[in-house]
Amino acid sequence: MTAQQINKWGLVLFALFTLAAPLILPLFIDAFWVDIYSEMLIWSLLAASVNLLFGYVGLLSFGQALFFGMGMYGVAIGVAKLGLGFWPALGLGIVLSTAMSAFAGALAVRLTWHYFAIITVVFSLIFYFTALSWKPLTGGDDGLSFSMPPMLTWGEDGELSLTDPTVQYYFIITMVGLCYVLMGVILKSPLGWAFRTVRENAMRASLIGLNVYLIRLTAFIVAGFIAGMAGALFAFFGRYASASYMFYHVSGEAVVWAIIGGAGTLLGPVVGTSLLIMLREELSTLWEHYLLLVGVIVILVVVFAPKGIGGLWHGLVNKVAKPAPDAVDAKDGEDRS
Amino acid sequence: MSDATTPILQIDGVEKHFGGLAALGGVNAQVDSGKLTAIIGPNGAGKTTLFNVVTGILPPSTGSIRFMGKDITKSSVHEISRLGLARTLQIKSVFHGMTVRENLWIAAQSREGVFKPFKSAKSCRAANDRADGLLEELELTHLANQEAANLSYGDVALLEIGIALATEPKLLLLDEPICGMGPAETERTVAKIKELAQRIDIVIIEHDIEVVFDISDDIIVMALGTVLARGTPEEISRNAEVRSAYLGDDDA
Repeated sequence: MTAQQINKWGLVLFALFTLAAPLILPLFIDAFWVDIYSEMLIWSLLAASVNLLFGYVGLLSFGQALFFGMGMYGVAIGVAKLGLGFWPALGLGIVLSTAMSAFAGALAVRLTWHYFAIITVVFSLIFYFTALSWKPLTGGDDGLSFSMPPMLTWGEDGELSLTDPTVQYYFIITMVGLCYVLMGVILKSPLGWAFRTVRENAMRASLIGLNVYLIRLTAFIVAGFIAGMAGALFAFFGRYASASYMFYHVSGEAVVWAIIGGAGTLLGPVVGTSLLIMLREELSTLWEHYLLLVGVIVILVVVFAPKGIGGLWHGLVNKVAKPAPDAVDAKDGEDRS
Repeated sequence: MSDATTPILQIDGVEKHFGGLAALGGVNAQVDSGKLTAIIGPNGAGKTTLFNVVTGILPPSTGSIRFMGKDITKSSVHEISRLGLARTLQIKSVFHGMTVRENLWIAAQSREGVFKPFKSAKSCRAANDRADGLLEELELTHLANQEAANLSYGDVALLEIGIALATEPKLLLLDEPICGMGPAETERTVAKIKELAQRIDIVIIEHDIEVVFDISDDIIVMALGTVLARGTPEEISRNAEVRSAYLGDDDA
């Protein structure tokens, strides 16, 4: 098999497993792993939003939790305070997070490297404290919970709602899947290649006529949209929003997930997020200092596998794979770096 | 002045100060279409600074720059590129983590527009054709899928010229294109530049005087941030002021 075929089959297996998880997981391990799995997929979107910026445009953001929080509060405030239905609340969450990323991005992407990282932290802190102190709207410390509005109603009392665990699971994987498809399509487009030129060499990018500012801003807004979708899904998942998810600690965790999974690979964040959340679920009850182990893993990955697990996977696949017969035109979606 | 044809590049009274230091102290120069112009001068003469000001990387302190009759003094780097002014850098600048073909492809696609998030890169015919054409023209086809980071120095230099050409420039600025090359690479690159000069206007900064006198139609001599002289190679080689200031009449 060629590397491309191996990756394609890997993706098919992963998709099949995801589709069948509610049936498979309870057979082998506890049923609550279905919930954990959907939670992992939601969080992987936050890591994917970090990865889109860091892995493809070269901007390291420590503030993506801000957009996660906007998506989360958009849904919770929409349902609990404004009495919105399911879809309008989802829309509100996504519009709020995307608008916030356009606003924050317009200022932040003028900077690069540590200045950029710092301003993203500052932005998320400002809104974290705003959310914490604006009690009547956000519930402050206690957060804001709501009861699930139905997705769809018909006839007398027919309704489709996330209160049904099966509906909830398939709704979440559909939305998460759509986000990855969206990113995959963008990364294979001229815009995706423009992202990479900015990561590789911003000066050369502007010398060939690319508007680096606009490209960075576009990536920042797409990343804000993805993080906002994650937050909105997470609010529906927990029927709850809380400022604690906007803290920069959450942003930092997403950076770790993205780097361990492999920055610059489309699905690396899923792997990194799943692995570390599993570790957390399994170890945190046994050993309260489990974060020490996470720290060791991060150091090992950064030192010995700087391209993360995604990079290790591609290295392995290229070793076992036959070279593609049409190597001249082979250009898969994953980046080599 | 009375000439009916506009020079492709017109530089008037351009100054560039860094703090108290005047890197450019009032440069007046013009580049005529149809000629290969060389800029020579000792280190610190302001040659690269002049390129930086012309391409929008540094804003001039005073003065004006016109490209094909259009004022570009305040234009940004990407706007100037889009008008048809391309350049290579003294320290070779390519997209290292991308393959040779991807380097050429994105430069070509920049002319077709990159804000097309839902169009597959593979279906961008114009950029595909131009990238493949350039691979052939520059004899880089066998390296098409190599990452630029793995190329030899000479091939990187060639790729950088290819990237510039992919943007279909009307004027190409080359900053020491053969600096650091061995004899064979130099010969190949010089031949390429001569060939290109048949169809695009080129301005070249070069220290190798032999090469300069061999390929250029017009020479601008700079020293201490100003233009010392301008003329044909014969005129420049006879110019006493240039000889003492730069060509080293009485010292090695």
